[in-house]
Amino acid sequence: MLSFLSQGRRGSGWGMALPALLLLLAFFVIPVAGLLSRSVTEPQPGLQNYETLLGSFTYIRIFLNTFLVSGVVTLITALIAFPVAWALAIMSPRIASVLFAVILLSMWTNLLARTYAWMVLLQQTGLVNKLLMGLGLTSQPLQLTNNLIGVTIGMVYIMLPFMILPLYGVIRKIDPAILQAAALCGATKGQALRRVLLPLAAPGIASGALMVFVMSLGYFVTPSLLGGTSNMMVAELIVQQVQSLVNWGMGGAAAFILLVVTLALYALQLRLFDAEAR
Amino acid sequence: MSSPYLHINGIRKTFGDVVATDHVELEIAEGEFMTFLGPSGSGKSTTLYILAGFQDPTAGDIKLRGKSILQTPSHKRQIGMVFQRYTLFPHLSVGENVAFPLRVRRAPQAEIAAKVKRALSLVRLDGFEDRMPAKMSGGQQQRVALARALVYDPPVLLMDEPLSALDKKLREEIQHEIRRIHQETGVTILYVTHDQEEALRLSDRIAVFNKGKIEQVGTGPQLYASPATHFVADFIGDSAFLGGELAAVASGRASLRFADGTVLADVPMHGTGSAGGKASLMLRPERIELAAGPGAAGASLPVTIEDVTFLGNNSTVSARTGWGDVLSVRLNFGHPMMGQVQRGDALHVRWQPQDAHVFART
Amino acid sequence: MLLDFDKLGLWKWILSAICALMALFLLLPILFIVALSFGNSRWLIFPPPGWTLKWYHDLFADPRWLSAAFTSAKIALVVMVLSVALGLLASLALTRGTFRGRAVLRAFFLTPMVLPVVIIAVALYAAFLRLGLNGTFVGFVIAHLIVALPFSVITISGALETFDPSIEDAAILCGASPWEARFRVTLPAISHGLFSAAIFSFLISWDEVVLAIFMASPTLQTLPVKVWTTLRQDLTPVIAAASTLLVGLTAILMIVAALIRKGKSR
Repeated sequence: MLSFLSQGRRGSGWGMALPALLLLLAFFVIPVAGLLSRSVTEPQPGLQNYETLLGSFTYIRIFLNTFLVSGVVTLITALIAFPVAWALAIMSPRIASVLFAVILLSMWTNLLARTYAWMVLLQQTGLVNKLLMGLGLTSQPLQLTNNLIGVTIGMVYIMLPFMILPLYGVIRKIDPAILQAAALCGATKGQALRRVLLPLAAPGIASGALMVFVMSLGYFVTPSLLGGTSNMMVAELIVQQVQSLVNWGMGGAAAFILLVVTLALYALQLRLFDAEAR
Repeated sequence: MSSPYLHINGIRKTFGDVVATDHVELEIAEGEFMTFLGPSGSGKSTTLYILAGFQDPTAGDIKLRGKSILQTPSHKRQIGMVFQRYTLFPHLSVGENVAFPLRVRRAPQAEIAAKVKRALSLVRLDGFEDRMPAKMSGGQQQRVALARALVYDPPVLLMDEPLSALDKKLREEIQHEIRRIHQETGVTILYVTHDQEEALRLSDRIAVFNKGKIEQVGTGPQLYASPATHFVADFIGDSAFLGGELAAVASGRASLRFADGTVLADVPMHGTGSAGGKASLMLRPERIELAAGPGAAGASLPVTIEDVTFLGNNSTVSARTGWGDVLSVRLNFGHPMMGQVQRGDALHVRWQPQDAHVFART
Repeated sequence: MLLDFDKLGLWKWILSAICALMALFLLLPILFIVALSFGNSRWLIFPPPGWTLKWYHDLFADPRWLSAAFTSAKIALVVMVLSVALGLLASLALTRGTFRGRAVLRAFFLTPMVLPVVIIAVALYAAFLRLGLNGTFVGFVIAHLIVALPFSVITISGALETFDPSIEDAAILCGASPWEARFRVTLPAISHGLFSAAIFSFLISWDEVVLAIFMASPTLQTLPVKVWTTLRQDLTPVIAAASTLLVGLTAILMIVAALIRKGKSR
């Protein structure tokens, strides 16, 4: 009823959005559009950049690497995040708040500091290799950096909070009485988990997984520090094309492919989120 | 004749194709408690928002003491308002909330302190100055809002369903407070509600709104005893309607014919209608009685008893007319017929001739 | 049953164990660098043979680290102010405006958050090459503002949404002009949102790496750029010292944010 109070006298108010709008138009929309347009104009007009990208195994492998790492990272984070979010939603608030502090601290700690820690931990003489050898799991140091294993470990570390937090929100909202009802209906714990809790948490899992997958696709810092040049991901390819090879056409084309995949998945996530809200 | 204190002069407001209020015309005396009563979407709130200056009318004028206030922006109208929701400033204490109107007027510190104290005392919240709004109950918050709206002695106080978020008991308590404050301060109040009981309890006069128009203005007893329209009769108090056809109309009285041919002659008629048009007969349940035989001409109908429900201090009897409509009749405890009436009995309903009204249906 | 921690039986212990392992996994690397920064091993042997403050000495003795930190702080402060100011105006438009297409505008304001930073970085790099903004303070501020703004808009419009606009109307009827009502009532009432937006914006700019790598010049670089270039050469413990200071700063800002939140609920 009162919602139309602000109508009438006060005008429509879009003018206040103008500064932010102009900033984004000038320094976001136009530059990005410019970059994408160079993919079909440089070195000469045409789709040759896309033909090169999608026609050679070198580049295809980079895209496959990217999807593989993102997929594995998403899977591992989901497997860890579900029990953690579940426990967080029901454990005593005091312990939960300690865990939240840990999660938030790691989330807000400088990205390079965190990646540096893993570079040191995972190197040949690093603590992880020492531990593995000490436990007799391996006789000689494993190669854990400069390859996709290192990238995956580092990315799981970074993405974990982004999966736990939304999942926690969803599980928190489930009415415990539903699961009591399931138990009264004769469901064992395993059945209740599989047939009731998991389906109810599914929108949260899907939404968190999409977010982690999308973020992983375009990640640059961790792959370039923990991965090797022989195991590039798309973001590194874009930077390499632009910075080292000054090939704006190829860089723009790779950026365009990444952009389309990202926005498509983002749209899908909005869809899922809307469906859940309805 | 001197101009009225507050004159709402032919206000019309449209939102696109939707007409929110249509030629609302009302004169309010100084110190009067006027209630706008009507269902949601009837235009009562829109009229209030136009008074507050949140919306501009499409046509018409509003005059306070003979001067138009439409060109004055909201914050310079000096009007007080209590909203439907709790609108205390969450970051300010109770004392600072009440002081706010005086601070924006740059009143001297001593005057602010004195007036805040007086206003809080008026709403019986002495000593609550340092409380934060979030720590108070809904009823207390609305009292603070009332103090804040009254602290600068506004010429008119607007109240937009201020009690709708409160539970019934608290609502009655604060209605009582509002009456007392109105009597103590003599402020002119315009009060919006959809609750007829609240309107009857509080107001000097009530303006009944329907579909953007005022259907009738009057005191509670006037509206109850002689409703001008079918809508007013239906909205205020319980009433039974029996549908029929106008047999004859002459000088404010009508004869009504029902589906089975029964004719009631010489009933007071409201609105315009001509013979052959549809109309309904309105009766208040507490003005009808059951009897073995018919009463005065045009003031009784034969009925068959359908059902009797005992409700403690009274019984409700459902009585079916010859053409199948059902009327509710109340029998108070101790009535000679209580306990006698049984399902299937053939009796008569009777009433005093002046208690029946015929409304032409459009 | 499954949502009652005490009735989980054996599962309770499994869940607790997973939580404990996750907490260790998240916490240990951070504690590890803190320990390394005080260890005397150049080759980052753990546990360190002895303890030293040498790496902090090296850090503070090197003017390049200090000037990088100073640059970062300056950029982050300017970004913080602009991000809150523009974010507040945009949020007012999004929550109070009555114009059409508000939902679209909102989604548009959030896109820089969704797109991979690398695309924005490369695109801005190209644009700034033409405008001569690469390696300039203004260039840094604009780049960081683009990625900080969505967080500011989300936080502030979230605070505005929970604030009932009829409270602002009440202030206007009390005699405050529309702008006075905004300044004296709306802004103080959403101050927690503004503070959170400020802290978010500061941290985003302060920690940002990818855009900074592209914007930096040999004479103007931020702390993350300095860490990045050093990291690519070797894993010197000086980085552990710098990282430890960064962790400390994050922890302090988090505590401040928590206190603000607590103050709000009081």
